[in-house]
Amino acid sequence: MISPVRTFPQLPWRSVASVLGLLIVWEATARAHLTPALFLPPFSVVADQLWFSIADGTLVSDLAISLARAFTGLLLGTVAGVVVGLLMARSRAIEWLADPLVGLGFPSPKIAFIPIFILWFGIESLSKILLVAFACIFPVIIGTYSAARSVNRLFMWSAMSLGSGRASLFLHVILPACYPRIFTTFRIAVPVGLITTFTAEMVAGGGGMGATLIYSQRFFESPTVFAYILVMLGIGLVLDAAMRKFQSYFLGWAEESAV
Amino acid sequence: MPDRLKKTFGSGLWLMGRAAPLVLFGAVWQGLASSGLVNRDFLPSPISVAAAFTDLFSGGDIAKNLFVTLFRAAAGLIAGAACGVWIGLMMARSQHFKEYVMPIVGGTYSLPKSALIPLFALWFGIGNATAIAAVFLACLLPMIVNTYHGVTTTPKVLVWSAQALGTTGREVWSRVYLRNALPDILTGLRIALGFSFVLAISAEMIASTNGIGKLIFMYGENGAYDYMFAAIACVVVVAFFADRGLVLVTRRLLGWHESATAEQGRRRA
Repeated sequence: MISPVRTFPQLPWRSVASVLGLLIVWEATARAHLTPALFLPPFSVVADQLWFSIADGTLVSDLAISLARAFTGLLLGTVAGVVVGLLMARSRAIEWLADPLVGLGFPSPKIAFIPIFILWFGIESLSKILLVAFACIFPVIIGTYSAARSVNRLFMWSAMSLGSGRASLFLHVILPACYPRIFTTFRIAVPVGLITTFTAEMVAGGGGMGATLIYSQRFFESPTVFAYILVMLGIGLVLDAAMRKFQSYFLGWAEESAV
Repeated sequence: MPDRLKKTFGSGLWLMGRAAPLVLFGAVWQGLASSGLVNRDFLPSPISVAAAFTDLFSGGDIAKNLFVTLFRAAAGLIAGAACGVWIGLMMARSQHFKEYVMPIVGGTYSLPKSALIPLFALWFGIGNATAIAAVFLACLLPMIVNTYHGVTTTPKVLVWSAQALGTTGREVWSRVYLRNALPDILTGLRIALGFSFVLAISAEMIASTNGIGKLIFMYGENGAYDYMFAAIACVVVVAFFADRGLVLVTRRLLGWHESATAEQGRRRA
């Protein structure tokens, strides 16, 4: 749906210049002590700290914890969301039952539920994974539902006239027809999952990128704060690029991936 | 989504039909809570949550903190939306500007914005400025991207027609490009609205002494779970109506656009 880097042909020199310029201004401002080092440590110090965090293994283990939580939650939320979305599209009773709840849940800020999840599932990983799943399920339900509602009738009639039953219609016609839309909503869900994981870790602690970030801030270790933010930025970019590749490679047959 | 159901229930019964599952949900919740199957502390019954809500409401706790949160969300949203539309428009107008800004927009777009809350807390301290800055940045990016997309996909024919009819310079931008981008801008605004609540509440949970996010978290830590549920329910309802309100405004504003007529066409079918 939204891809900010869609018009990146090859790196134009102005883009390189603006990033380099930003880094130089950052370094110069910090070195000239225009701002307190606490507020803005020089980029070189941040880079040093980044290297140090990688070398002593804290960054790698934090990253592994956070990504494991985010992706377990994403997977749970996506699978459950696809199932609910398909059921809603095929059964009026389920649609009637689920629609108001989905309508109410979709626009709600899921992070507000974190104290409930902590109360029910503890402060360890489980509460965070389930919160991520809860945050991701709504866009996936809505995407899958509208995809399944708009499956070309001709495909379904053809399959039925060739003798496919309910189950086979579901598995071989409706579900595959929904794949591109499901993937599009998954792409929306990934940043939601990351944000939810990081925020939950910041609020509730329990290890991971978010927890280390907030501890570093509380102890005024600014270089670590900046280093972790840079890593989070990198993760966002890498995941976005990876999904773009995946989409054009596996789902190139669907028109949507042309977007 | 509700259109198919509207037909099933008829327009009079429709709203009741829509609300019934929620009532059912409440009844199951109440049954579960009063059956003693689950610990009462873990799941306060809807009745005790409602009691907590009226207590909070009459005491002014909800209203006061909700106002603080809504102020932060709205301030960040308005500033972010205004700057976002402007930057998006500038990117579409000037190739050079776009090339300078693109890597920064692309980079911050995929950054989970809540990661910046600790940094903002470091810079601006605990309170309004941190929350507003986080909301601002989270709302800025979808507005830039959607405005840019809307403006750059304007059909050349529209521009030529307007020019042939004597529209010039600035007017082409305001009356053709921006008008054409309006559906995209409103899509961006709906995304930004959702972000504004999330970021305001996150910022309050992490670095604030007031606001509804802090209130929720405080009740959770003190074990006042019925109050906590009441405050969360309040957030859900407010977010729901804000979203609905924006959708209604969007429909009204886009009556001329094909997306609206397409929807009506589907409804008739």
